[in-house]
Amino acid sequence: MQTINGAQMIIEGLVRHGATTVFGYPGGAVLPIYDALYQNSDRIDHIITAHEQGAAHAADGYARVTGKTGVVIATSGPGATNLVTGIANAYLDSVPLLAITGNAPVPLLGKDAFQEVDIVGITQPIVKHNFVVRDVTELESTIAEAFIIANTGRKGPVLIDVPKNVQESEVELKGITATKPEVVPISVLSEIVQALKSAKRPFIYAGGGVVASDAGEELRELSEKLSAPVGFSLMGMTALSTDNPLALGMCGMHGKYAATVAKSECDVLLALGVRFSDRATGNISVYEKDKTIIHVDIDVSEHGKNVKPNISVKGDIKAVLAKLLPQLSDIKPSNSDWLARVDELKLGNARQEGDFTPQIAIETVGEFMADDTVIATDVGQHQMWTMQYYPFKMSRTFLTSGGLGTMGYGMGAAIGGCVANQKKRTVLFTGDGSFGMNLNELATAVSQNLPLVIVILNNGVLGMVRQWQKRFYGERFSQTTLGRKTDFVKLAEAFGANGFRVTNVDELKSVLAKLPKSPVVIDCRIDMDEEVLPMIPPGKAVDDMIITKFNASAGGDS
Amino acid sequence: MEFTVELLVANRYGALNRITSIYARRGYNIDELEAVVADKTNSDIYRITVRSKGDEYAKIQVMRQLEKLYDVKEVKLT
Repeated sequence: MQTINGAQMIIEGLVRHGATTVFGYPGGAVLPIYDALYQNSDRIDHIITAHEQGAAHAADGYARVTGKTGVVIATSGPGATNLVTGIANAYLDSVPLLAITGNAPVPLLGKDAFQEVDIVGITQPIVKHNFVVRDVTELESTIAEAFIIANTGRKGPVLIDVPKNVQESEVELKGITATKPEVVPISVLSEIVQALKSAKRPFIYAGGGVVASDAGEELRELSEKLSAPVGFSLMGMTALSTDNPLALGMCGMHGKYAATVAKSECDVLLALGVRFSDRATGNISVYEKDKTIIHVDIDVSEHGKNVKPNISVKGDIKAVLAKLLPQLSDIKPSNSDWLARVDELKLGNARQEGDFTPQIAIETVGEFMADDTVIATDVGQHQMWTMQYYPFKMSRTFLTSGGLGTMGYGMGAAIGGCVANQKKRTVLFTGDGSFGMNLNELATAVSQNLPLVIVILNNGVLGMVRQWQKRFYGERFSQTTLGRKTDFVKLAEAFGANGFRVTNVDELKSVLAKLPKSPVVIDCRIDMDEEVLPMIPPGKAVDDMIITKFNASAGGDS
Repeated sequence: MEFTVELLVANRYGALNRITSIYARRGYNIDELEAVVADKTNSDIYRITVRSKGDEYAKIQVMRQLEKLYDVKEVKLT
């Protein structure tokens, strides 16, 4: 048997579990790990970011594109706490992530040693599980277990904290692998079949669980078999191509009009891998009214948490659909009235008028991109416009922070997504507010020479908050008019990237027509009064939807 | 409505913390808590009993969240 140190054991564990690229930032408490990375650079790539948060988001973006567990490494103390937002982001969106942190040597733990924090305590509510490895003989099995936990069942982040002396201790490499948990057999499908067969107005609501289990093809088949329109949660957006006539777009607060209204009018709602977030449902009692709700999710704690289903099934979406489809082979949908109604609703998807609106900018970028181009966003108005107007074609091409709503997610995610997609051209739609939170990662994009296209929809304000202030706070624009003088073109050049400023579609097109294979920043000047519509005010229902006219009576509380 | 949950839990650092935070985060007060070795010959597994108050929804949510913890081997209502 081979004797190695703990740090080398970490590398062996990462390689054995399929990690080929990891993200991170070195520091005092992970020196042995970085030494092992140096010695193993032919087996595993490491990308250093500008900040640990960027590394965590990069690992998250990498995981969303590949389906593999993303890996991020950080030192103790501030290195570890800088990961916290990235870990929480992965937790809320069920992204498989492994965070490895160093810590003070075991004898110093609990003594407020230099750069010591209780990162296991800090991250406990935002991980699936976490470990402190105090004994090097437990390290190999812990890494194996961590990979299984992160990437089975409902996926999510796992953190392993490894004190520095454990990284330096000698241990035998045994070749330990962990076994996957048993898959529980799927039950009550006959009830679903019955409900679907008697449905007059079926609607499928597809979420992140469809994307996570790579069940897009099964979903397409199901929707065609049932002649059922499909709406998505933000996480489910790429489950079907946007040019599929049954795909209506996202449902919910800023969802497409047809998707949200059709969902409210259906008689059987088949919800696949969704968690019914408050942004998706609005008022729950209105939401649940007059319909049979079928909830399929791998996480039983989601059944009945937010919405009370009539039928609930535990299972991986791909596995459930594989079992369900043959049982629907004789179904003959007779819902042409319903499909006619859905077509009528699509006419309500009309968007705002204008020459160079953010919506037009997003569609224009789409015309220049390939079907497999990975699109990342930050958080705010630009994110919702991207969801509404980007022509997504393939699964796993949309990296966006749904549950946590992390401004500053985009640059890291785009870097991770680009690396995961063989360093092909990758687009980040961001806002001037969000970009201000993570623009340090432009340094990483340049050092890695990644072909990122960073489209800043620049309105000079924190647009989404401003929109709420306009609608619900009497136009008192508190702290949302930024008044910054940042020159994003010069900023891009200072980082070693190319920068362009565009004020109309033709200028945007001419930049897009000759993109270099290196990072580009496009500063798109847009109107600060442009709103994300439609909008259902928080806690309200579909009937309260704001479409184009100002509706002062619709108030919100969260 | 009062409800008592009995758990079998791996004896690991922070296991009790993970359990109590499920209650704390959702705003359910713990009225009584007991942790003992489940089997006197083996200190690897603890039996933890938690008494709390909440409606049917609270009870089911707490149970299902507890079942997701990796240190928790078994959850039952008593």
